[in-house]
Amino acid sequence: MAKQEALGKKPMQVLEKIRENLEKLNEKMEVMIELQKHGKKDLQPMPDAPLDVMTLLSMPDHLRKTAMTVCRLGRATAEEIAGQTHRARAVESAYLNQLVIMGYLKKERKGRKAYFYVERENQG
Amino acid sequence: MTLVGKIIAVHSYKGGTGKTILSVNLAAAFVKHGKKVCLLDLDFRAPSLSTILKDEKVECWLNDYLNGVCEIDKVLVDLTDITKDAGKFFVGLANPSTEAIRDMSAKDRKWEMRALGRLLALRDSLLNEKGFDYLIFDTSPGLQYSSINAIVSADLVLVATTFDRSDVDGTRRMLRELYDLFEKKTEVVLNKVLHDISSKAGKEEMQTMMKDIYQVPLLGIIPCFCDVLKGEGNIIFAREKPEHPFTKILDEIANRIDKNTL
Repeated sequence: MAKQEALGKKPMQVLEKIRENLEKLNEKMEVMIELQKHGKKDLQPMPDAPLDVMTLLSMPDHLRKTAMTVCRLGRATAEEIAGQTHRARAVESAYLNQLVIMGYLKKERKGRKAYFYVERENQG
Repeated sequence: MTLVGKIIAVHSYKGGTGKTILSVNLAAAFVKHGKKVCLLDLDFRAPSLSTILKDEKVECWLNDYLNGVCEIDKVLVDLTDITKDAGKFFVGLANPSTEAIRDMSAKDRKWEMRALGRLLALRDSLLNEKGFDYLIFDTSPGLQYSSINAIVSADLVLVATTFDRSDVDGTRRMLRELYDLFEKKTEVVLNKVLHDISSKAGKEEMQTMMKDIYQVPLLGIIPCFCDVLKGEGNIIFAREKPEHPFTKILDEIANRIDKNTL
């Protein structure tokens, strides 16, 4: 009986894995699209770069808006950020992932949701 | 998100524009109107609130809060007794010792980033949890880390400016290249005005002139009062001289801010 149940769950697990991978792929594509739009100069990877106010000032406007919203909310999903900036969730997702690659934000997955935040306590 | 209070950063391009006197008296005006107000000295390079408010019973400084060694409750000093008004008045002071000033001047970018996080957290701890109506940040002039941190954390930036040519040019640049970039609601207060603005026409002419320069409306025009200078920073006008024109103007500014919902 238990074996049957386990077998029944497996297709669901496979589908869930496929969905997760598709989401990851989608995020990567969104970053690539944004990169093409704004040019590579905006995206200089730096591990654990501090997101201080001078960095915020020197950022391009579209990324500053997203970064400031994360600073204000502390920890948020792309959807929550989009709710504040009034831009599309997919756009915010791309900007957030750019900021992660640049080292300014951290990303943590919890189930289906991806949370973005500024790592403040473990730096320096 | 429901905003239950407001954070006001009082800033200027140059020093000597009257930021601290404006901050103290604006806070006192709000308290007189029955508000619960917290005035925080974020001018770590030249702390002055401890001198004006003559308070010696400080358990912790704002420096300690930003350094992460204490919570904000330990920093706040209750000055409600001295105001005798309907509201409540708390202050958080910056450490005026030379060693503390030197220490704050030598902080690195990562420390400043954490300091920004702790300032942003005041919205929850003071406005949402402790029910303050207003937090007023008295800041350092110009583009200092501490003042930009304060600006980023604020809902409203109140810019104190004078007729000094370099101050006008600098303020205009900051409006365009600092407050606008952070999408901050900004209001300008023209202080220490020597022109005659006693007539309605004179006042309107001044307002038009300043609007042309700054492209934002003026929140208030404050003449250069000898009494304010003579007070040498020792008088809280809202409390000691309630009928003085300076007090009346600050009352009007506080009313305008209060009516302007976010």
